[in-house]
Amino acid sequence: MRGWRIILMLLALGVMPAIEARAAAPQVIVCIQCHAALQGRLSLPVRLWQNSIHSEHGIACNACHGGDPMNSVNSMNPANGFRGVPPPTSVPALCGGCHMGITAYYTNSAHGRTLGQGGPTCVTCHGSHDIVSASLSLINKKNCSVCHTFDKALMIRKAMVKTDGMLKAIEKKITVLRSQGIETDPLEKKLFSLRNRFHAMFHSLDVTLIRKESAHIQAEIEKSNGAGGAGTGHLVGVLAVGWALLAALLFSLIKKNID
Amino acid sequence: MMQFLKNIYNWIDVRLGTHEIITEKRTGYLLPRNINAWYSLGSVLLVIFALQVITGLLLMLYYVPDIDKAFDSVSFIMTEIPLGRLVRLFHAVGSSMMLLILLLHMFSILFMGSYKSPRELHWLTGFVLLLLAMGISLTGYLLPWNQLSFWATTVATDCVTSIPFLGDRIVELLRGGKQVGSHTIGRFYTLHVGLLPAVIAVLIGIHLFLIQRTGVSTPPFGLEDSKNQWKGETFEYEEHPGGVPFFPNFFLQDMISISLYLACFMLFVFFFPDMFIPSISYVPANPLVTPSHIKPEWYFLANYQTLKLFPSEIIGLTVQAVAMAFLAFLPFIDRGAEKHPLKRPLFTVSALGGILLWIGMTLWGYYS
Repeated sequence: MRGWRIILMLLALGVMPAIEARAAAPQVIVCIQCHAALQGRLSLPVRLWQNSIHSEHGIACNACHGGDPMNSVNSMNPANGFRGVPPPTSVPALCGGCHMGITAYYTNSAHGRTLGQGGPTCVTCHGSHDIVSASLSLINKKNCSVCHTFDKALMIRKAMVKTDGMLKAIEKKITVLRSQGIETDPLEKKLFSLRNRFHAMFHSLDVTLIRKESAHIQAEIEKSNGAGGAGTGHLVGVLAVGWALLAALLFSLIKKNID
Repeated sequence: MMQFLKNIYNWIDVRLGTHEIITEKRTGYLLPRNINAWYSLGSVLLVIFALQVITGLLLMLYYVPDIDKAFDSVSFIMTEIPLGRLVRLFHAVGSSMMLLILLLHMFSILFMGSYKSPRELHWLTGFVLLLLAMGISLTGYLLPWNQLSFWATTVATDCVTSIPFLGDRIVELLRGGKQVGSHTIGRFYTLHVGLLPAVIAVLIGIHLFLIQRTGVSTPPFGLEDSKNQWKGETFEYEEHPGGVPFFPNFFLQDMISISLYLACFMLFVFFFPDMFIPSISYVPANPLVTPSHIKPEWYFLANYQTLKLFPSEIIGLTVQAVAMAFLAFLPFIDRGAEKHPLKRPLFTVSALGGILLWIGMTLWGYYS
């Protein structure tokens, strides 16, 4: 149990370099240059992508569609790895290339078992070009009711609310600590790993597993909550300022006596 | 214990005559009867300089002046070394406070006419000390190698390029290349920890020597005749018969001012450190990513805004050079005997206008 968790954490940490390696600077790639200048539906993907989480992290067209984004003549040549629009059945594997911990959960879930038979893939919930990051708001009646009733999805969502709140709280805490110059790198890495584990777990659609794993993650967050230090104590500050003011008062009284 | 200390004191006294120094040079060292608290700012500045040296030496134990290691070494000091965060905050906040108190000291001298003959050299050395303090702050600002320090230094050194003919060469000399980089950090570090503190220490010594030789100037307040009494025929030490002894009376005033300064200083260190080290200071320098609204430190904002104000940088630079030269040579320009600010309204209004203009330009630079 502990072994696979470590492997999962390491894999999650490994996602970042993989993403970095696959990212191309969006300002210079030829895909954006050409498609942005086109009319109608051919430019729509660029506009949608620009507001996506992928764009935010510098993951450009070639990460999913392949090709050579620096080659204006042969960017879409299959010889350069261009694969065009991926077929729906290959989407989970394609996304799983970067989001490594999730594919196994998905494949074994009810969603994964209906792949190729009209069942949902990653893009059904997360979008294809206007890709949104994983959040509880994605589990909603409108989305889920397209295929089935919302009851079970609601149970899963309820099981995840507390952990999600805790993760957001610790994220805020990290921001505050970082703004105070406190070393947050280990805490950030841990949060990254926990959040990935938490988001990956949802794809199993197994309420019992989600409840059990959520409890583990909550315990990990509780442990991390004490880390990072509290910064320079305000109590010490009050004492230091108070001491200096007291010294000024004391010197002033002595001076008054001498004068 | 007391007897032991007394014995040590006597041992030193019979050899060096320390008792004489204390009684004659300190207790017998008389200051003007109407001396005020503004005169103690010099002592406050000495304490600040000493604190900067001590905290600087402590930071040097762990700081590495290398672009690949500087940021991490500062982070290490802040997070891993016991009291490291406090030492770094003392040093960073202290540099801004040093400039603030230097300016206050200068303004008090200005309004009390203490720069007038025979104290032209006092003013000149003080003025050079202000420039050196700005220099040591600028060179130290780059050392943490964070986004703010990198880009603020880039902007500040860019201003020098507007000097005709020599601008580019001076910038290259300062940076050790075309851009702020590994050679710049080496040069700034050498200036910051070696050359500038040594020159500042020597100049402080000269400044104090000059004060000792001429005596303390009489403040113009509370006197019927507030004119400068110096005749200029022969060297004359300004005596203050019946004045206030330096020790213990004014020494206590110094201690009050130092304590009040430390209270304000620690208030900033413990409760408002973000004013001096904003959150962007915790992001490592990245020459490829320019943060928005990057500006030099507050003491260069007026210069920065003046440069932006004029259509040509040469005009902006000339205006500043003239203003600085006027200020540096003020004792040679203002030869009037009157010292009381209310009895020389033209000077007072001009000086206040100049200060307000400087504050206005600083605020404009900050919010622009």
